[in-house]
This record gives sequence, structure tokens and C-alpha cells, in this order.
Amino acid sequence: MKLGRTLAAIAMLGVLAVAWPGLAQQGSLPSSLWQVYKERFLDASGRIVDNANGGISHSEGQGYGLALAFMADSPADFEQIWSFTKTELMVRDDGLAAWKWDPSATPKITDLNNASDGDLLIAYALALAGSAWDRRDYLQSAAELARAILEHAVVERGGRTILLPAVEGFDTGQRADGPVINPSYWIFEAFPVMALLAPSDKWTKLSRDGEALLESLKFGPRDLPAEWVSLARQPRPAEGFPAEFGYNSIRIPLYLMRSNTNSKALMTRLLKSMTLPEGDLAVFNLADGSPKETLADPGYQFINHILACVNEGTKIPEHARELTSEFYYPATLHLLGLAYVVEKHPSCL
Amino acid sequence: MSVKLPLLLVSAAIAAGVVTTGPSLDRLDAYLKGTAGAAPSQQLALDDTQNADLDGVARDIRSMQALPPKTDRLAPDASIAPFMLSQADPAQRQQPAEDTVGGTAEQAPPPEVDESALRYFAAKGDTARLAAEIARLKSLYPNWTPPADPLAVPQNADRQLEAMWQLYSEGRYPEVRRAIVERQAQEAGWLPPADLVERLQVAEARSRLVNASNLKQYRTVIEVGAANSSLLNCSDVDVLWRVAEAFAQTERPQRAIDAYSYILTNCTNTAERVATMQKAASLLPYNRVQPLLALEKTADGVREFDSIRDDLARRFVAEANDAPTLDIAAEYVERVKQLALAEGPASDALLLGWYYLRRNDAAEAENWFRRAREREDSEPASQGFALTLLEHGKPAEAEAVLYRWRDSSDDATATYLAATANLLALDPAPVIADDVLTRMAQTVIAEQYAPSAQQFGWYARSFDQPQTAERWFETALQWAPEDEPSAYGLALTRQQLNDRAGFAQVQQQWAERSPRIAELAQTPRTTGTDNPAIRASASRVAAVQPGTSGGSPTSPRLPETVAPQAQATTVVTARRTSCSGRSNPARLSPAAALDNGWCLMDLNRPLEAAESFEVAMGSGDRRIEEDAAYGQSLAYLRIGLTDRAAVAAAKAPMNSSRARELQASILADRAIQSFGSDRYRETLLFLDQRTQVQQETVDLMVLRGYSYMNLKRPRDALRVFEAAAATGNRDAVRGLADARAAVGLN
Repeated sequence: MKLGRTLAAIAMLGVLAVAWPGLAQQGSLPSSLWQVYKERFLDASGRIVDNANGGISHSEGQGYGLALAFMADSPADFEQIWSFTKTELMVRDDGLAAWKWDPSATPKITDLNNASDGDLLIAYALALAGSAWDRRDYLQSAAELARAILEHAVVERGGRTILLPAVEGFDTGQRADGPVINPSYWIFEAFPVMALLAPSDKWTKLSRDGEALLESLKFGPRDLPAEWVSLARQPRPAEGFPAEFGYNSIRIPLYLMRSNTNSKALMTRLLKSMTLPEGDLAVFNLADGSPKETLADPGYQFINHILACVNEGTKIPEHARELTSEFYYPATLHLLGLAYVVEKHPSCL
Repeated sequence: MSVKLPLLLVSAAIAAGVVTTGPSLDRLDAYLKGTAGAAPSQQLALDDTQNADLDGVARDIRSMQALPPKTDRLAPDASIAPFMLSQADPAQRQQPAEDTVGGTAEQAPPPEVDESALRYFAAKGDTARLAAEIARLKSLYPNWTPPADPLAVPQNADRQLEAMWQLYSEGRYPEVRRAIVERQAQEAGWLPPADLVERLQVAEARSRLVNASNLKQYRTVIEVGAANSSLLNCSDVDVLWRVAEAFAQTERPQRAIDAYSYILTNCTNTAERVATMQKAASLLPYNRVQPLLALEKTADGVREFDSIRDDLARRFVAEANDAPTLDIAAEYVERVKQLALAEGPASDALLLGWYYLRRNDAAEAENWFRRAREREDSEPASQGFALTLLEHGKPAEAEAVLYRWRDSSDDATATYLAATANLLALDPAPVIADDVLTRMAQTVIAEQYAPSAQQFGWYARSFDQPQTAERWFETALQWAPEDEPSAYGLALTRQQLNDRAGFAQVQQQWAERSPRIAELAQTPRTTGTDNPAIRASASRVAAVQPGTSGGSPTSPRLPETVAPQAQATTVVTARRTSCSGRSNPARLSPAAALDNGWCLMDLNRPLEAAESFEVAMGSGDRRIEEDAAYGQSLAYLRIGLTDRAAVAAAKAPMNSSRARELQASILADRAIQSFGSDRYRETLLFLDQRTQVQQETVDLMVLRGYSYMNLKRPRDALRVFEAAAATGNRDAVRGLADARAAVGLN
């Protein structure tokens, strides 16, 4: 047990950003924006409320909440969100988080299955916060969770290392067209941290194979990945899900951008394919490439502002620097994007 | 920044045995500091210094935990040790305790007792929590003296801390967490009271444990319990119950018993103790529960579990019903009997009915089922009652009892169908009222139950209604195409009806598989039954021909439960146990032995079947004895022990058709054996005897012809072969040629 090392880490925060550009930074999220986010989505009980989804909470939301609280340098909020997450979601025998929590149900957990992206986000945020704020208990929990993800959700199938979306229901043998993946569950920036928490070469493979998959998943005239992809044979949209580029997938370019991967071309191609001529992002029907739903919320839009600044030097417009998204999901993507700009491209502001 | 909070958590993890390896965390630090590639030697040096520091930290933990000296206990009553829970084996379980004591308890400075919670509850006037807190502090610090008047203790001057306690008391733990961290950011060096931190940790752990328990995540329940031993005491019996349940549900009954024993040994709340016993009885097997019952306390001559004794007895008897090999103490059975006799609910009598039925005491079972039905007629009561009636050879009563419930459950349907088969198979064939016959036929057709269809065939035959019998045998074969007895019945009946084509068809299909069908000669039957009593009731069976009773068997399907029966009079019982033959038939009841005998016949294990029938023959019940004698006789015939078959057939009086059938079989066997020994006169003698009871089959006619040939009586042979060859039988045609040659006709 090396408590002193952790204490020492506090003093090294400045070094962190320079040495490891892929990692989220403490203090990268302006506290005024975090304040607005909290007022809209953080309940006093420590749960992030998905207000577009019946007011439920889930492991993904808790993971985003923890990560944003860390970026906003708010240990108190982090502690509050973690207290809920730990007592309400971290109940599974295998050490993963139960994914779905409904305030109107008894028991509150209405689906005990996990969601691997939620698990990754929670472990990632705990590791960053534990290291930055000398919280051995956070690091401890992060390590346990990372090990559980590695053991139960990271598998090798058909020569690829993949992330099962959940322990139940997606793997070979669990459904006819399994394994089925969700490419938006690959949170690339988290993998190097996972590899430290639960050392294994599988994390590197997972990251590499995830990138390669994203390169290859080109469905329909827009060459977009499906939200749920069967890898049973040649990758194709999974049975029983709409064959679409959906809400989940919208965050893929953001994850690529935030990560330390060398995937700018891929990110740019995806962003181009998912953007309508007028500049709005959309959910697309893969078969004919037609937009199913235009995503006009500024939270979704923000990623294109980043790209415009990085590529053409266009500053982020003033209106896009405020958190105007009323719903949990686009608001979350908006803040993740803003934090990225503060960290990596402060001149855009 | 406080180090105490994380340390407490880490120490909890140590206690739980869930400490993780350090290196990855260190590498994370290094990674975050940009020193991932640091030289190993440098890391090692750092590690050493850190370890030295940790030793100091460990000492601090020990003094913080401040184990009380073993002497000078002021309040022994309040210092019950918490339930020791560990997932490790007992040897490892000692480890944390040694670490904690470390031999330094004597030198530890006197602990500083944190009275802030006490003050808070006093200020609120919350006397219940105040008392609980005093008890808790006493158990933690035996040397501590509580304030003479706790309510007079000045309240916390610290408003912020008071607010934290307020949030804590309202169960708003995430907000307490938040408030602590917020204040630490504002006030450098501020430390939350250790008491608050510990309580918060325990309260969160409790929430997590309860959540996991509600979701049946038993491993988590046990882990959390192991890491938070202060949760495991009499002040929160619900947590102990949940931990016990987690052990019981993960097949560690002894650990569950440990937890229940802890409660029953240490905790005093009577309602909780009684509930503990109930929970233990619902989760643990009977034998495991008994030692717990011994922990019962008696006050003023009243035993504390008396209020639940009736329910425990019911539970144990029910458990014994599911496990016929389980022996439970007679007192429980006796108690349920008293309940059932003293106007208890029908379910008590029902429990006893099943209890005795499963223990092969059909008479006692019948009494209780009858009583249950009198109290309240129900499907299970009628089902059980019908089973006992069947055991007692009263299928007509069983049919009547169960008809109303025949569709209520799969078991009820199976038992009802068994009753119909048994009723029809009674010997002599009983006269059954038209409406009963009709409703039986309707159910048999609706369920496509081949055994009863076959019995309907035999039943019709016994009333000399061959057309009806033919329809039923055909129907039985539709539903159970491999049912040899039905085929045999069909062949016999078509023969009787002079249906040559139909008979030939059956013979062609079955001759290879069934010797007795092969042996049937296709010769017109000249004598029908001449029993006037039977003739008088002959119109009855016609009413229930299959196909005229509504549900026409148009889509034959093989019912899963159909087992080919050995003979017309086979007794069919529901819940028939498989006759592996391994059990000693001498241990079976006569009825069960009879059943076992037929079952073994089905498996073509006649020698064992004969032994089983022998047991059944000592029953004293005429019907069973007759069935057994018949069965044993058939069994011996099947293995060629003809003399024994004859002896067996004489062991019990038999109705005429069976007697005839047996005699015919025995004589045929004897004739064949004589022929094989070149004793042709004897062969003819046996064959002549046989024709007195049954018409000669074609095969036996051929045997007779060759006997004549060997006795140099070719003209007699010629006459017999001519008749036999008319059926197209190859052997007969060849014999005819031989005979013609012998008399010089060729």
C-alpha cells in the first residue's frame, strides 16, 4: 500500500496534462457550466436524472456525472454522486454496476444487467479522481471495477478483442447472431487507465480492434456504423434492432476526438457522414441513408464547432459556450466537448 | 486532507479479505505523473519508505480502534460481540483479529470517546436513538461512563456538524458525504468526527447490503457483511437475517446456521427471535433446523416458540411429504393430527393424507383425505383420496370422486385416467352405469389415453360386443401404435368377427414382434359367450363407442404417458414408480409388488416379474392375488417354464376367460415341448386338451399335422393340413404337400 505516492500525485497535476494528452483533466470544465448541469440533472440523492427517459438513472449517467464532476474539480459533488452509485448500483455479485434504476419501482433496480460503457465511465472517473484527490478508496473501487470489466465484458471473438455491451444477452450463444456489439461503448480515452488498474494486454487490443472495427463498419450509402452490430459473420446490423445510425452512435466522433488514438481521419469521415447539408446532425436509416430524425439540440451540434475550430480556426460561437441543452444526454455531450476544448484547444474560446 | 476516511475503508477491505494488489495503483500514479517508465530501483526505494510510513499508519489504526482491555468491564450486558462473519475458513478468520490486537492494546492511550452523536440526539430529544447510542458507546468503550443526564449535555456548538448529523439521521447519506468534503475544502485541517464517518460508512454499507439482498446478489451481501462486522449485531437483526439467507441460498447452510444461532444465543427481542426461527425453518432443511430449536428459551414455563409450533409442524410434515425418505420426529406428525382433528383447516388433513400416502400407508392416507374433502372439497384432496381408493382397488369410487376435478391439474387428469383404466380392468367386468361409461369415454377420447381405450376394448369383449371392442382397440392403436396388447385384442376380435382381411392385416404387422399374435389361427370362432347375464347387459357398452361420443379421435397422437400394458387386466396407476427391479420386491406392499410385476413384464424381465408377483400373491386381497397368479403364470410361460406356469395358475381362483387363456398357453407350450422331444402321442394329447379351451391356431394345426405324419397317419395329417393351408400359412402349405406325397396323391 503506497498511500504516500497517491498524496504525491496531487502535486503532479500540472505534469499530467502535458504528459498525457488523452486523459481528462481536473478543472477543464468551467464551474459555472457544471453548476447549470447539476441544477438540471443532479438529484440531492446523488443520482443523475435522465429527464428524457422517464426520470430514471443509469450507470452511464452516473459515470458521466462522476467524470464531469472530476473535470469541474468538484470533489464534493463527486463524493455525492459516488455515494449513490456505490450503494444503489454496485450490487452485482460480479462487481459490475447494475445499469437501470427507476425511482418508481421496487426494487429500484429494474434491470440487473450491466452496461459496459457505464462501467467503463465509472471506473475511469474513479481512477482520475482517486489519483488527483488522494482517495485510495476511489482507486480501490476503480481497480475492482476494471478487473470485473476485464473478466466479464472484454472477450476475444473471431480473432477480435471486443467489448460486450453487457454480461447478459449479447455474446455468442446468448443470441443467434451474437456476438453483438455497440461501437459507441468503446470509450477510447479510458482504456489506458483501465490497463493500469487491471493490467492486461487485452486493453490495447480492445482499443486497436475497436478502431479497426469503426474503420470497417460502413453500412448503406452513408458508410455509417450501425448502432448494434452483429459480428457472428461479416459485420452487419444486428437482428431485432433498428438498422440505424442512432443516438448512441452520435458520441463516437467525440470519443475519438477526446482519445489519444490516432484517428483523426476516421473521426472526420464519420462526422461528415452524420451531418446534413444544413449542418445539423441526424439519426440515419442505414438502408437508404435518409435522416430519420434531425438532432438540432446544441449539445449534439457542439462537436462540429470543435472541428471547425481545429480545421479552420473558427472560434467557438458565444452561444455555443453556454449550456442550453435541456436534456441530459445532449447536455452531457456538450460539456464533454467543452471540457475537451478547454484542455486541448483553449485558443478556440 | 483527511487520511482517516480512506484508511477506514481500506481496513474494512482488509477485514473482508478483498484487498487488491498495490502495484497497478502505483503504476497509475506513476502514469499520471508521467513517470511510468521510472527505474525499478527507484520505485523499490520509494516502496520501502512508503511501507515504513504504512507501519505507522497501521499503529494509528490500532489505537483508533482501541480494543478495550479484557478486565474491568463496566457493562458486560451491553458488550455482545458482533457476529463474526468471514468467507474464509476459521484458520484464516483469526488473522484480522491478531492484526488488530497486535499485543499493543495494553499500551494504547485511553480512547477519546466521541460524544457528538450523543449530544445531537439529546438535543433532538430523540430518546430511543440516545439510548441506542449510549449502549453502542458502552460496548465500544467499556471504561466510558455515560453522562448522568444525557439530555443535559450541551448541544453541539458546531452548526455545520449539527447539519451533517441532521442529514445523517434523515438517511441522506450522499448529502452528508458531500457536506464533509465541502467543509474539508473550506477549512483546511478539519476532520469529520470519527464516529460520524464510521456511522456513515456502516449506513451506506447497510443500504448496499439490503439492495443486494433484495436483488438476490448473495455474494455481494456476504462481502459487505464481512467488511462491516459492526452491522452484524442484535440491534439490526434484519441484516443478520439477510446474511443468513445469503449463506443458505449459496449452499453454505452451516454458515447460515451460525448466523441464526448467533441471534438465538445473543439477541433478546422475542418477536425477532420467533421470526428468526421461522426464517431458518423456511430456508434450511429439517435436520439443520433442529439444533436451532434447541436454543429456545423458556420463561415462566412458557416456551417462546410455542406460538409458531403449529406452523413449524406443518412445515416439517410438508417437507417430509416432498422427501419420502425424510424421517421427522413423531411429535410433529402428532401435532398436525391434533390440529386436523380439532377443526383445523382442510389443509392440515391434506398434509397428513400425503404424508401417509408417500409412506405406503394407504388406509391412513384415505382417512385423512376423506376428512380433508369433508372439510372442504378441493382438487388436491380429491386427487389424494382417489389415489388411496385406487390403491385399495376401488376404481369406481376413485372415478366418481375425481370426475369433477379431472381438468384441474395435470396430476388430477392423470389420476382420473388411471381410475378409468382400473375400473374397466376389474375382473369380473363390473356393470357400469351408462352415464359413467359415457363420461369416461369422453375424457379418454379427449385425452387420447390409449391404456383406457385398450381397456374399453377388453370391457366390450367381456360383454360380447366385438364390434365396439374392435373400434376401441383400433383407437388405442391410433394413439399408441406400438401397444401390443391392443393389437392382440384387435386380432382376437377380428378373428371372432370373421374379418379375415382385417385379421390378416394385424397379423402381418405384428407376427414378428408378438408370438401370441402370430399364433392366432384365422379360423372362424364358433362359440360366442353364452353367459346369459352378460348377454342381458350387452346393450350397455354400445353407447360409448369411440367416435360416437363427441370427441372423435381424428388426429391420433401418442400421449407421452402411455406405457404398453402387459395384458387386458393390467392395473394402471398414476405416479407409477419406475420398476428398475433393483428394489427388493419383498419390501413392497402387495399392490405395489403387483404393479412392479407388470412393469417388469413390460420390460421383458419375466424372471424378476415372477418374483414380484409372488410377493403380491400373499396379499389376502382376492383380486390382487388373482392378478398376481395370472401374472406369474404368464411370466413363467414367457421363459418356457410351463410346469411352473401351471402351478402358478392354480394358486388363485381365476375367472374363466383368464383361466382359459392361461390353460391354452400352457398346453400349447407343452405340446411344442413334447413335439421337440419326439413324443408325438403326448403332443396330440396336449393339443386335444387345448382344443377344449381354445380354438387351435394355424401354427398348432401344423404341429398336429406333423405329429400325425410322424405317427404314420398321413390321411389325418392331410385333413389337418388342408384346413390350415387354406389360411395361406406357408408351413401348412408345405405340410399339405408332404401329406399328399405320403398318401400318394402327387
